[in-house]
Amino acid sequence: MSSRSEFDHRSGCLIYSPRRTGCRQADSARQYSPDMGLEIVDVTQTYGQRVALDSLCAVVPPGVLTGLVGPNGAGKTTLLRVVLGVLSPDAGSILTDGRPVTAQDRRHWGYMPQERGLYAGMPVGEQVIYFGRLHGLSHAVAEQRAHALLEELDLDDRWADRTDKLSGGMQQRLQMATALVHDPDVVILDEPFNGLDPVAVANLSDILRQRAKSGCVVLFSSHQLDLVQDLCEVITMIDHGRTVLEGNVAQLRASSGLRQLRLHIVGASSTWAEQLHGVSVVSEEADEIRLAIAPGVDPLAVLDSARLAGQVTDFGLDLPTLSQLFLAAAGGSGHDEGALA
Amino acid sequence: MNSWFQGARLVMGRALKENVKSRSFRIVTLIMLVISIAAVVLPQIISGGTTTYTLATVGPAPTQIQAALDAAGASGGFSVEYRSEANAELVRGMVRNGDATAGLVADTIFTTSDTPGSFPALLSQAVVTLETVQKLQLAGLSAAQVAELQAIRPPEQVVVGKTESAGRSIIGVVVGIVLYLALTFAGNAIATAVATEKSTRISEVLIAILRPSQILVGTVVAVGLVTLSQLLVLVTPLAVAIGVTDMIDLPQVAASDLALAVMWFGLGFALYAFVFAAAAALVDKITEVSSAVLPVTFVLLAGYLVAITVVWSDPSSVASVIASIFPFSAPMAMPIRWASGEVPIYQLLLAVTLTAATALALVALASAIYGRALLITGRRVKIREVVRS
Repeated sequence: MSSRSEFDHRSGCLIYSPRRTGCRQADSARQYSPDMGLEIVDVTQTYGQRVALDSLCAVVPPGVLTGLVGPNGAGKTTLLRVVLGVLSPDAGSILTDGRPVTAQDRRHWGYMPQERGLYAGMPVGEQVIYFGRLHGLSHAVAEQRAHALLEELDLDDRWADRTDKLSGGMQQRLQMATALVHDPDVVILDEPFNGLDPVAVANLSDILRQRAKSGCVVLFSSHQLDLVQDLCEVITMIDHGRTVLEGNVAQLRASSGLRQLRLHIVGASSTWAEQLHGVSVVSEEADEIRLAIAPGVDPLAVLDSARLAGQVTDFGLDLPTLSQLFLAAAGGSGHDEGALA
Repeated sequence: MNSWFQGARLVMGRALKENVKSRSFRIVTLIMLVISIAAVVLPQIISGGTTTYTLATVGPAPTQIQAALDAAGASGGFSVEYRSEANAELVRGMVRNGDATAGLVADTIFTTSDTPGSFPALLSQAVVTLETVQKLQLAGLSAAQVAELQAIRPPEQVVVGKTESAGRSIIGVVVGIVLYLALTFAGNAIATAVATEKSTRISEVLIAILRPSQILVGTVVAVGLVTLSQLLVLVTPLAVAIGVTDMIDLPQVAASDLALAVMWFGLGFALYAFVFAAAAALVDKITEVSSAVLPVTFVLLAGYLVAITVVWSDPSSVASVIASIFPFSAPMAMPIRWASGEVPIYQLLLAVTLTAATALALVALASAIYGRALLITGRRVKIREVVRS
């Protein structure tokens, strides 16, 4: 694995850069792509003696959903606040189109905080218009967009209702509407799926995916790694204020050293597998054998070897979960899988 | 946002709308209106109507005494009814039963313990004058000489107070009390608004779009306008009553004192409002607001107490001069001192300038505290954390 990040234009993601100690030098050598979205470069943020972000680097590409994942206290909210410009980092910068993000850029961004930030007594429609106007829209345009957005979010019939009369799920959708009303270039959401049922998660993620497809940069944080695994194309995994893993989720899982090939093979012992380079036997029970496949080793080549050794009646490639990848990347220190699920 | 002002205006517009639509605004404004109208109307009702005294005499009262009492009544705002009885016992009985204020029989005046002190005094003065005139005429003095003697007036009695005008200085104290209450009320309203936005995380969304100063100024101006409008509801009927009509017996200058009081509210509000907002930004839960603003309330209360004790008792003392110029007590102390009529204009200007300058400095400090404290949630923020960072 390279110690610096490499951008893969075909997959639209940044490939893996575990435990980097700084990316400024790497970035200076990097050929920046104009459609790269946001780039977080060497960001450090301290609160007194406590280091919340430690030379953190990441790339948030446009067109896909990017998940910022990590356990509670990893620094996700602090990073989002730095990206939003609410906090000025002690060091580092946030780039867009290869240049530092300005306050003017951020006015076209949308933000949804971890807990609902809505005026309880304000009518639904008025609330969306108000946030649209704060983002610089005229009243007429804000009203028009509010109607369209609330219709899309199935809330148009609640236009005149007080916000505190809505259910939790509806308020979450309304919060989303206030973040999207000005048609932002970048949408940042802090734990948007917290406390939502699976149907609400599917609805919200559909809306976000649509925005991403239209070229928007969508970054959201979550500590629910397995949920993110199903929703996101790209992740940035952080722990103790540092990036421990980032890139395309499918590629990260597929190229991981934690892949296991499960084979049901008749009439052969495991000796054939032990002779293969980059393959180790995890378990062997009756006719089923589990093999760990090292990064760079083609599972199909291993399958071919198995078929030469005996009759393969069943097989499957088990990819690691994000939780497993996180534990491997973070060194397992102080984390258990349950806390990350 | 196109400009700083547009952002602050939007925040202000929303907060203003929310405040005006609230039930508490309607109730407080209504109470203010009722208090103000009552303050104008009640004294009229209480003192309204002409007092009528009844004098019982044996036979018709002497015309000279009637003339003297009627003349006193015309200038003193009372009238006198005369009851003629057959004998002294009946006169005495009328007074005893309360049917007459006083009774006059020969050289005796009957009164009861309930009889107002001024009427018997007037009556005896009229009797003495009548007899004196008769005796002077008997002694051979001409009518002109008697009239000359009657024209002698005792020296004018002037009550010397500590202030130029006692009535006006009362206005000063009332203004001091109202300003203290208005600042406390508005300060707490701002603190609650800020803490509500922080605890509901709305401020987190706002701060991603706007600068802290825009949110702070917008919120403060909205609550300030609401409180000022309530203050005007309270003050306007009084000012009209004093300045335009003669309904309330106070010097004309009191109307300008009230106008100055509105200006002092503006200054005092600017000074304290931002400190209240910054203090409220330190809380995590809305229930912590009152303890968070306690130090600010304490300073405000101290300023008020100094104003109504030290300044009110002796507006010219050194302590009073200092209290009326020191920015944190000036908004309450200066109106009281000013109403005493003993303040050189340069001291007023100095107090206004110092208070305005301090308010501006506090806006910058409060914005910095507010911006930092809003992002620290889950616990109460210590002031040292945000000032140091």
